[in-house]
Amino acid sequence: MDFFSNVALGFSVALSPTNLLFCFLGALVGTLVGVLPGLGPVGAVAFLLSLTFKMEPATAVIMLAGIYYGAMYGGSTTSILVNIPGETASVVTCLDGYRMARQGRAGAALGISAFGSFIAGTFGVIGLMFLAPMLGRAALRFGPAEYFTLTLTGLTLVAYLTQGSMTKALIMTTLGLLAGSVGMDPISGEERFTYGNLTLRDGFGLVPVAMGLFGIAEVLENLTTLGSQSIYQTEIKGLLPNLKDWKDSGWPIARGSVIGFFLGILPGPGPVIASFVSYGMEKRMSRYPEKFGTGVIEGVAGPEAANNSATAGSFIPLLSLGIPTSAIMALFMGALMIHGIQPGPLFISKYPQLFWGFIASMYIGNAMLLVLNLPLIGIWVRLLKTPYAILFPLILLFCLIGVYSLNSNVVEIIIMLIFGIAGFFLRRLGFEGAPFILAMVLGPIMETSLRQTLLISRGSFSVFYTRPICATLLVVTAAFLIWPLFRRRRNQIGE
Amino acid sequence: MKQSNVAISLILIGLAGFILLQSRNLAVGSLRAPQTAFFPTTLATLLLIFSVILLAQTLLKGEVRRGPDNVVAEGWIRIGATLATMVGFALALERLGFLLTTFLLMVLLLRAIESQRWHKVVAIALMTTLVSYAIFGWLLGIPLPGGVLGI
Repeated sequence: MDFFSNVALGFSVALSPTNLLFCFLGALVGTLVGVLPGLGPVGAVAFLLSLTFKMEPATAVIMLAGIYYGAMYGGSTTSILVNIPGETASVVTCLDGYRMARQGRAGAALGISAFGSFIAGTFGVIGLMFLAPMLGRAALRFGPAEYFTLTLTGLTLVAYLTQGSMTKALIMTTLGLLAGSVGMDPISGEERFTYGNLTLRDGFGLVPVAMGLFGIAEVLENLTTLGSQSIYQTEIKGLLPNLKDWKDSGWPIARGSVIGFFLGILPGPGPVIASFVSYGMEKRMSRYPEKFGTGVIEGVAGPEAANNSATAGSFIPLLSLGIPTSAIMALFMGALMIHGIQPGPLFISKYPQLFWGFIASMYIGNAMLLVLNLPLIGIWVRLLKTPYAILFPLILLFCLIGVYSLNSNVVEIIIMLIFGIAGFFLRRLGFEGAPFILAMVLGPIMETSLRQTLLISRGSFSVFYTRPICATLLVVTAAFLIWPLFRRRRNQIGE
Repeated sequence: MKQSNVAISLILIGLAGFILLQSRNLAVGSLRAPQTAFFPTTLATLLLIFSVILLAQTLLKGEVRRGPDNVVAEGWIRIGATLATMVGFALALERLGFLLTTFLLMVLLLRAIESQRWHKVVAIALMTTLVSYAIFGWLLGIPLPGGVLGI
């Protein structure tokens, strides 16, 4: 009964005219961000974060979540129609989706991608609804030692999962933690590395840094290869998949939903990994694996379901433990904290309206996207033809005003530009931005919990291996750190 | 890529050294009672270790993964012009005011990224300035600097 009354409460919040409007706006902007190149979902959420300050917390979170899952939907549209993934989680969709479009089956690919996303998104939300409160209750028993090891494991896992060199990912993590330590000491209040600058007293702002690393850096990267994109002209007809399509896609969608959800919970770029794992699995399980990559509907249905389900799963660690597991979740945490709300074990019991309203809005948002995406595909394709030379100045303008509007502070624009330039060069050298931003947000939590643990244990580290949760997490962390060395050795022997 | 990796490793080693030096001005405390500089000092040491590992990996094995595509001169000019325009925006915003600075920013960016026709540039710049002013200034009620125009 309690459960149903909570769901009813959630719908009463989500269906209020304001929240409904912002859910729609979020989904719309998200789809736009997913469709258009030049600004990924992280950059978009960072930019719109500044607009949410004056909103009610529930409205703010509902809109930002809409952008996140909207981008997942939008990204697949461009993957299928023009072979350009709007964001990384849709890279896999290009393989078979684009081939289907070339064979004149763009409609079926788009249709199954939208329906698959909707089904998986709904599954993910149901999972979130059940698992988050359970995990939240379990986390009430966590002490500072558990929090420290949990953040340590999370950061190590993100570094492990980052594409490219793990050393570089660990460097970015350390740099992020250092950036997070600028400003006031969270325990003593003493200033660190501020050099008398008032803006730095509160530390580097999340929005200028995220917008620099993900917005400005991305635009600068695109400026290096500015050119006109050729858009494949295809006639889109029959968006509804036929019976055979449904038969072929049913299990891939079901499997993608489950895998995606659980991979989404783990730290790291959940939706991206989920889509790759789902594609690999469908190929292995298929009776005709050799046909994958030539336009097989299972290759679209599985990954698209997986990345949407992962989106919902990735909210679990944030809402129940207070630990963001990806760059975008770090921004959600920022959005909540700006309103004075601390996500964590007490979040659901303290803010039931916010939690259940958010859950209900995700149901509604997913349904809206289904309605929004299919009939509007023609408009999205036309938008793709917007010349970069007009699109980029607009993105840059919104980044500049977005950052300035935070505190009416020009210094924050300069901080954004510095991080934009650094992000551009670092990315070209194989250093990724995600571990940095995540570490920057987790830094203060990690420092506080480490210092509290040492104070309580009187400087003894034994607490980390005598408490079962800590010990398990440390073993996992060590495994992620050591495994790449073994893998390299094995590869060398193999060669 | 190899040269860039060596360069970035050396920069990072320098940065770690700088943070370690700066942390000496703050209290480190002890393991029993860690103080303000405890966490940054630990992190700077870790940064030093990871940077040395990266340097060693690059020098010993010549980590030559796929390097970034070279940026053509035209690309660097576009990037330079775009960045200079944005820095100019930051410096001029509170002096010239939102409307004038935004209009100039858009004109310069539209010309810098790809030469567009003047009438098109002015039209787009004017439209975006007014629309962004309406959204941020009126709709969201964010105080935007009036500058010389006083609005």
